[in-house]
Amino acid sequence: MNPALRISKNWMAFLAIAALFLTARLFGAEHTDSHTVANAVDHAAHGHDHGSASESVSQFSLKQIAHSYLTAYMFTLSLCVGCLFLSLAHHLFDAGWSASIRRVTDTISSLLFPWMTLLVLPIIGFAWHGDLYGWFFTDPASDHSLDVKKVLFNRETFSVLLPGVIALLGLVAGTLRKWSVAQDKDGAAHWTSKSRKLAAGGIFLFAFGTTLVCFFLMKSLQHQFFSTMYGVYYFAGSVWVTLITLYILTMYLSQPGKPLEKVYFKRQQQDLAVLFFAFTVFYAYIHFSQYFLIWNAALPEETFWYVLREVGSWKWVGMTIIFGHFFVPFLLLLNQDIKRNMAVMVPVAVWTWLMHYLDMTYNVMPVLHPAGLKLTFWDPLLWVALVSVLGALFWRKYQTAAPYPLRDPRLKEAVTHHEVPTSAVRSASASTH
Amino acid sequence: MSALPLKTHGMLAEFGTPADIFEAAMRCRDAGFSKWDVHTPFPIHGMDEAMGLRKSPVGWFTFCGGFTGFFTGMTMIWYMNGFDYPLVVGGKPLFTPLYAFPVSYELTILLSAFGTLFGMFFLNRLPKFYNPLFKNLRFRKATDDRYFIVIESADPKFSVEATRAFLTDSCHATAVELVED
Repeated sequence: MNPALRISKNWMAFLAIAALFLTARLFGAEHTDSHTVANAVDHAAHGHDHGSASESVSQFSLKQIAHSYLTAYMFTLSLCVGCLFLSLAHHLFDAGWSASIRRVTDTISSLLFPWMTLLVLPIIGFAWHGDLYGWFFTDPASDHSLDVKKVLFNRETFSVLLPGVIALLGLVAGTLRKWSVAQDKDGAAHWTSKSRKLAAGGIFLFAFGTTLVCFFLMKSLQHQFFSTMYGVYYFAGSVWVTLITLYILTMYLSQPGKPLEKVYFKRQQQDLAVLFFAFTVFYAYIHFSQYFLIWNAALPEETFWYVLREVGSWKWVGMTIIFGHFFVPFLLLLNQDIKRNMAVMVPVAVWTWLMHYLDMTYNVMPVLHPAGLKLTFWDPLLWVALVSVLGALFWRKYQTAAPYPLRDPRLKEAVTHHEVPTSAVRSASASTH
Repeated sequence: MSALPLKTHGMLAEFGTPADIFEAAMRCRDAGFSKWDVHTPFPIHGMDEAMGLRKSPVGWFTFCGGFTGFFTGMTMIWYMNGFDYPLVVGGKPLFTPLYAFPVSYELTILLSAFGTLFGMFFLNRLPKFYNPLFKNLRFRKATDDRYFIVIESADPKFSVEATRAFLTDSCHATAVELVED
């Protein structure tokens, strides 16, 4: 397929989404009062009547689209952020085994700029229009919890800082990728040491940036909420879903005749699965800690968040997350042979995607539908649309450079990683003697 | 060949590089030896496959330890707080898995670790206070820069002549010697 056609296909995907928005706008039924959401949250916060508020959100309303879009955006952002973390970690730990899949993580994370930065703009639009965040239209003087957070939660800071931080993370990712591509040409080792230095600063930027972005996008839906775990919580789930995505993606890319065939082997795949398993536990640890501390302290300004999520079917969504997000993959992947068994891992990957999407829904949707889980056709539609756009952009960008860092000093280590081609071992040991 | 020494431990073969011992291990595996081992200064990735080792069953000890720990924790807290001496703390329920979780979780980890450690000891028949190889001067290099294969004389396929020839000719060992018990 020629590049022009590819580009036009992406734009067509964009146009299709835009058209859907427009359609919804034209058929847009009654708009609920923009303060209804805030009121519902307020009710829950003060412990009375939290089930009954704002039942009448039409599925064609902009509110519904905004929340569905936000959920889908948080999901796709997870993949970019997770890949950025893996690239940074690769450089920080001077890892060997992951060199052969680093071009993939570099490419996905570099989509943060400009693409994910552009895709966040509709959310800012929805916010200004009054479809997402109650605090956009609340006077801090009348709301103490907003008053103490107004440094961050005000329209101007939100509109500038949010895309700014996403773009900044994207620039770090893009720079890592650019240097790696430059190394393909001259093979100079200084690109690697430069990348390590960038990663050393980048990891701090990543930690604060990701936290800030998910505070802005998801946590501020209920601005009264406090949780220092929230950023780590999003991060843990993001890396979790990213690892299984990479597992499947790299498995595909290393099939006979595909670009990673000669540099990516079963052992690396096992390592990805081991990391995935680790993050299954880490996510559970983080989410449990958040819940447990809030439960134990029992402060109303924190508990309301979970109280709202124990109403109606949200309680069962929560249970599904406990068992489906943690226990099922945890118990399945305890066995080391399972980690290479495609008949198990492919369903696990599909399940992981569903669970992470459900987790995002659990964070976003109770604000709009306090009575219980309510899916509309927007949810799968926008989810598939955003993931497809990201996938298409990845594929286009991935093909503009070599499929793996051709002259990375660690590549040999990655290729011989745990692997037993005797000739490789022999030449490796011969070169060290 | 003179008479055998009263008791022999086995045949010790020395190798100079990881690649050499790797190939030799594969040959020993294919020759069908069962009581033999490889000693290297550092772990060599893929050696377990080259030696034809089964997956270690130590994970089952870990799992049983963890399982016991988790349910011990839960039962203990239920018994103490919810049953034997019911006491309301902070307006919380007398028993819920929620506050019992941190302790159960710690016990899971503790007993998994014990299961792993003692399971490994058990499977390796440790502690063992003496091994004839400790007396062998050549073998001391196993912690430095040499790689060793030991085929024990208890192996049904062991014979002084044939095993020595096998290690020297087929496996290309740099030195082979008989270790006395």
